[in-house]
Amino acid sequence: MLRLFRTTSFRFTLVFVLLFTLAVGVLGAVVYRASFGAAARQTDQTIDGELAVLADLFAESGAGMLTRVIRQRTAWRDDSIYMLIGAPSGAVLAGNLTALPPEALNTEGGFFDFAFERPILDAAGREIGIEQRNARGKVMRFRSAPDAEQSFLVVVARDIAARDDLRASLVNVLVRMLAATVALGVIIGILFSRSLLSQVEAVSRTARAIRGGDLTRRIPRTGAGDELDHLSGNLNAMLDQIERLMTGMRDISDNIAHDLRSPLTRIRNRLTDAMKGDADDKEDALRATLDDTERMLVTFNALLSIARIRSGESAGVMAPIDLVAIAEEMAELYEPAAQDAGFELVLTTAPTPPVNGSRELVSQAIANFLDNALKYAEGGTRIELKVARGARGKAELSVSDDGPGVDADDRARILERYVRLETSRTTQGSGLGLSLVAAIAQAHGAKITLQDANPSAKDAARRGLRITMIFPSADRK
Amino acid sequence: MRILLIEDDAEAAAFAAKGLREAGHVVDHALDGEAGHKMASAGDYDAYVVDRMLPKLDGLALLSRRREEGDETPALFLSALGEVDDRVSGLKAGGDDYLVKPYAFQELLARVEALGRRGAAPASADVTTRYQVGDLEIDLITRTVRRASKKIDLQPREFRLLEYLMRHARQVVTRTMLLENVWEYHFDPQTNVIDVHISRLRSKIDKGFDKALLKTVRGAGYTISDID
Repeated sequence: MLRLFRTTSFRFTLVFVLLFTLAVGVLGAVVYRASFGAAARQTDQTIDGELAVLADLFAESGAGMLTRVIRQRTAWRDDSIYMLIGAPSGAVLAGNLTALPPEALNTEGGFFDFAFERPILDAAGREIGIEQRNARGKVMRFRSAPDAEQSFLVVVARDIAARDDLRASLVNVLVRMLAATVALGVIIGILFSRSLLSQVEAVSRTARAIRGGDLTRRIPRTGAGDELDHLSGNLNAMLDQIERLMTGMRDISDNIAHDLRSPLTRIRNRLTDAMKGDADDKEDALRATLDDTERMLVTFNALLSIARIRSGESAGVMAPIDLVAIAEEMAELYEPAAQDAGFELVLTTAPTPPVNGSRELVSQAIANFLDNALKYAEGGTRIELKVARGARGKAELSVSDDGPGVDADDRARILERYVRLETSRTTQGSGLGLSLVAAIAQAHGAKITLQDANPSAKDAARRGLRITMIFPSADRK
Repeated sequence: MRILLIEDDAEAAAFAAKGLREAGHVVDHALDGEAGHKMASAGDYDAYVVDRMLPKLDGLALLSRRREEGDETPALFLSALGEVDDRVSGLKAGGDDYLVKPYAFQELLARVEALGRRGAAPASADVTTRYQVGDLEIDLITRTVRRASKKIDLQPREFRLLEYLMRHARQVVTRTMLLENVWEYHFDPQTNVIDVHISRLRSKIDKGFDKALLKTVRGAGYTISDID
């Protein structure tokens, strides 16, 4: 909970709530003025009106008439209006106020608020208690002539209980409204920040798990498509890349251990034996050792290349390349060797959209395909290097042979590192060629497929292998 | 050739120096970048062989500094980093060639000797347009090849192959050097594609003549030479 109050989103919400409350407060003040203020003005106008009538009466008919009229007007009990006329002596001549309010003496000619007590009468007219009333009134001094010595104090007042009730209920409503605004704002703020916080927490949790060594963890996506979701997506992509790198590193150390330990052991054993042997044995051992180390270097370089390509280091040299030109150069490079090995190397090209890639790496992939075809298409006579526009306009590069081909079960496996099919154990090779190709394909976002080159061939040994590299369109991503 | 070898791995350096000396070169050895820089400033060398990762002053910085000081001695980088970007940064720093460790000694020797030839030729000689080995001539302007005055027709790639061999006549040229300079690839195919191209070229320039000029150097590569 404490964390919640420290979050940015909560602070933001708090500011938002404050501003909103202020707005509601201003709105309330306006409503208050409009309704309560109008009522107050109306009270004052009524009082002024009554006083004007009484002043006219006094001017026309004198104090006696005025006293009579006031007595008549206040004869029945009226809660809403109070009148009083006081003689110059200070004695009350008529009216329904028990006494001249003390405030009246100080505010001659002006409005004043006052309270007074009056008896509560039952239906029979008996006094059963005393109640306090609040009223607002105006006092005026009437003179028969401007210089007359005699003057009468006249008070007209209205009961303001109703007005006060209105004010009280208005204030009540406004306060509730404000309270509701604040409460709602805080609740929404807490919910909002909690949902935001839970997403951030998911990121932190994942980061902690990864720091703890579990590189496979990913941030769960909310699928909302908002900024946080995008951020999670990008972080996940970054984690994928890091995992690939780490796996690459681990793979390479595993592979070095696996692939170099046996020749090293062999070399040591051979040298140990040779120490005891004669000069010819020593010579043989040295020669065999030299061959072994050459092979180890080849393997070592291949492993390094695979790891580097897999880690995405080659991404820096990606540029639009022309597959047709690359295929032409490779065909030219391999044609004599193919002919020597008894194959006809056929190049078939069709214009393809440029793809994003590295000439060096794609050439290397083609070299691997051709090396494999020359090595494994035993009894074949024709190798086709083809660049074509495949499904949805994607550029496809393929190499087909008419050798024995590869069983469907084995096809997926041969792209893995080190897999050499049992039938080809006798042929030399590091077993890394197609792994290198797989890494190159991955670096280009390309897909590798393997299929029979001539599925309809009657002779099973002639069904051949077609290996295809399908490139993504260059304009995408 | 006087060669300055700047390499911090003493054993690898001793091996390379021994080989180079056996091939008739004079080799000085520096163990770190600063020492190398001092020796290069003081001495007069025909070629530098510089490891990229050196203590005190790394290979790239060392060579950049030499170039800034106007030292145009050709240099070959040795590096455990082999990708194209690394190669490019090495060449940008003023390197003339790049060799990835681990390398075969023959490869180093051939490349260093190729460098020496480049360094020995004054700048104006770069416009050489005709090369001759024995009775074999190549003219780069008319793009013609003649042996004993008889015109030989070559495919464009064969012409480039012969051109490279002739430019480095009487030197050993490795398969990798050919692949890099004639085809511009920096990987080694498993199939010996170069050998077949060489044998085709040989059949055109040597067949029917008494003396074979294009020779195979066992365990190293090829050379074009009229000396047996």
